[in-house]
Amino acid sequence: MDILFLLIPFSVVLVLFILAGLWWAVDRGQFDDVEGEGERILRND
Amino acid sequence: MEAVLSLAPGLPAASQPAWSLLDDPAEWPGFGRALEPGDAAGRWESQVVVEGMHCAACAFTVEAALMQVPGVVSAEVNAASRRARVVWAAASVKPSRWFEACAAAGYRLVPAGDMLASARRARESRLALWRWLVAGFCMMQVMMYAYPVYIARPGDMSSDAAQLLRWASWVLTLPVVLFSCSPFFRSAWRDLRQRRIGMDLPVALGMAITFVVSTAATFDPEGPLGHALYFDSLTMFVFFLLTGRWLESRLRERTAGALDALMNRLPDSVLRRGADGDFERVAVRRLAVGDILRVLPGEAFPADGRVVVGDTSADEALITGESRPVARPCGARVLAGSHNVGAVVEVRVEALGPDTRFAQIVALMENASLQKPRLARLADRAARPFLLAVLVAAAGAAAWWWQADPGKALMVAVAVLIVTCPCALSLATPAAMLASAGALARGGVLVRNLQALESLAAVDTVVFDKTGTLTRDTPRLDRVYSRQGVRPGDAVELAAALAAQSLHPASRALVQAWNDQHRLAPDWVPVQLAEHAGAGLEGTLSRGGGGAGRRLRLGSAAFCGVAPLAVQAAQVHLSDDQGWVASFVLAEDLRADAAATVAALEAQGHAVWLLSGDSGAAAREVAQRAGIALVLGDCTPEDKLARLKDLQAQGRAVAMVGDGLNDGPVLAHAHASFAFGRAVPLARANADFVVLGAALDVIPGAIAQARRTLRVVRQNLWWAAGYNAVCVPLAIAGWLPPWLAGLGMAASSLAVVLNAARLAGRPLRAGAA
Repeated sequence: MDILFLLIPFSVVLVLFILAGLWWAVDRGQFDDVEGEGERILRND
Repeated sequence: MEAVLSLAPGLPAASQPAWSLLDDPAEWPGFGRALEPGDAAGRWESQVVVEGMHCAACAFTVEAALMQVPGVVSAEVNAASRRARVVWAAASVKPSRWFEACAAAGYRLVPAGDMLASARRARESRLALWRWLVAGFCMMQVMMYAYPVYIARPGDMSSDAAQLLRWASWVLTLPVVLFSCSPFFRSAWRDLRQRRIGMDLPVALGMAITFVVSTAATFDPEGPLGHALYFDSLTMFVFFLLTGRWLESRLRERTAGALDALMNRLPDSVLRRGADGDFERVAVRRLAVGDILRVLPGEAFPADGRVVVGDTSADEALITGESRPVARPCGARVLAGSHNVGAVVEVRVEALGPDTRFAQIVALMENASLQKPRLARLADRAARPFLLAVLVAAAGAAAWWWQADPGKALMVAVAVLIVTCPCALSLATPAAMLASAGALARGGVLVRNLQALESLAAVDTVVFDKTGTLTRDTPRLDRVYSRQGVRPGDAVELAAALAAQSLHPASRALVQAWNDQHRLAPDWVPVQLAEHAGAGLEGTLSRGGGGAGRRLRLGSAAFCGVAPLAVQAAQVHLSDDQGWVASFVLAEDLRADAAATVAALEAQGHAVWLLSGDSGAAAREVAQRAGIALVLGDCTPEDKLARLKDLQAQGRAVAMVGDGLNDGPVLAHAHASFAFGRAVPLARANADFVVLGAALDVIPGAIAQARRTLRVVRQNLWWAAGYNAVCVPLAIAGWLPPWLAGLGMAASSLAVVLNAARLAGRPLRAGAA
């Protein structure tokens, strides 16, 4: 059970890392236009 | 991004609001217009986007803050579209003054119609998404930490492990409270500082209380607030609320924003031919009349103009209501706001900015989207006393439960605070009406007056004007009589060759008759021609441009020297040197969809009337063909008005359909009015609804849409009132845990907006409701 004392703080840190990753994605505008990027290949301009 | 921003030099940078730049009069036309052109110190009307507004109560605050500034004449804020219309006197106030006043009240204004507004909106929506992701992710993890505590039997878990889980929950709740909840706290704090009650105050109080109670339980489990943790509830309801808000704003952008999308159709920049013949990209507001532009397929035309190189087709759905692309060959006129869907063309600019028909349409729609319908004002007035009652109820519930269990008492108060949803109440009407106005605009009917949707839904009598409404402006060739030996077709060919040179309605009817039958121009070419105003045309035609000429006269019986036909209808005659050649009887051209429209209106249960200024016989003839039983001819405008008042005195709600020009007073007196905006400058069309195209069948569609709108508004209001009436007592009784309260509130506003969104998608020409 002692491993919990390591794993729980580790999971908290992991969550913070994942949140940082999400921030990076949002800040780069990856969610600004979810449908448009897929349709772009169909446009001819 | 740099490229876009550099097109708008002199505007305040996104990070630093240098509003003094807006005091330059050269910037004012960018987001408004002068109400008294010519007077530099006159009144201006400006359109701005309000940031940080969450609900209708905010609209009140912004209006009050603006009105406090001396020199601001009026301020109207629309909660659903987040736009404000400010009228201010340039002599006594500068824009920076009221921009600052509004910022001091906690809301930033952005001049509408510049690109910063959309860049800012993109930033806001990114931030909202990020807040939602943080809340969602932390919620999931906090649930994991809460789960062992729920399932563990006494003695299963060491107290150290339990304490570790509490701390972990607390750490992951911190970002949710500090970051994801900040919009709620900020707007509640703003309201408190102004000694007002806003819609976010109860929610923010609920969040703060939950966090304080749970934090106390984490670090001091033996304390007075008990040892129960609510981090899981807290993160969950924050997540639900943010989900609700996020979806709501997405939907609002799709429905109320449908209007926005229509208004923002003009491109920001366009390719213009420079002095050296090369094309370069310039901002649209730098254009001048006479410039040559290159417009690529898929781009919108930025100005009214004429195609000078190339052939294309244009999608003019917004401008004329015509849903199919129309051919625009070299030499044809193109309209600002229509889309080039064919090929690359070059266009010479003929009219710009406020002179275009597009600008008139936008001005109409902006004004309509800022109005507050009666039902919305009622709901807004009810919102404040309601909030006050909720705060009192929450305090009362807490006091009642305190004796039994202080921790539980606080959670009951939290549930009461969170479950109440005045937002749904104040969104109910504007969301539905704006969604409907957007759908109507896409179908070619502009709503000039949102309130009129309510009147239109109650209409039981529809009165038509005749000319230009039930019938086309141009008559139609009905019958041809010709001299022995002259085939009627040849007579039409001769007449059309002459008539092609004239713009008289009768001439247009003859040309139209020829073009309907044949694809080629008439074989005869005029070599010499004179038009005698009010009488007719006289000219010499030659076949194929060569050979001997043939002298012909086309016009009234007297002009041609022949005897008039003994018929009631309009007639044109053709004669040559030997006398009479042919006579053409013209009939008023009933619109193709007139009979179907009348049938649809009667199927909806309307009485249909025709009031016409033409002779009784002509009016009856048209009425009979259109299937209208109730008809009155020989009406002066005064007669029409008297007849309308008669009908209204009988308790009928009347919708009037006219051309918007000669029947202005009649239109103004009807409960609801439609004008056919083809011939009329839109700003002068004196009607609640302006029909942009030529199709009559949008009228039953619009009435059905108005009825649906009112039905949705009523459903929304009942839903919002019923939800609060049921949930608040449940929460006071202690039967509603905070997480369920959060879910309920989010679902309630979402239901209202979703219900309104149903109106946006309906096709207009669906016929009877």
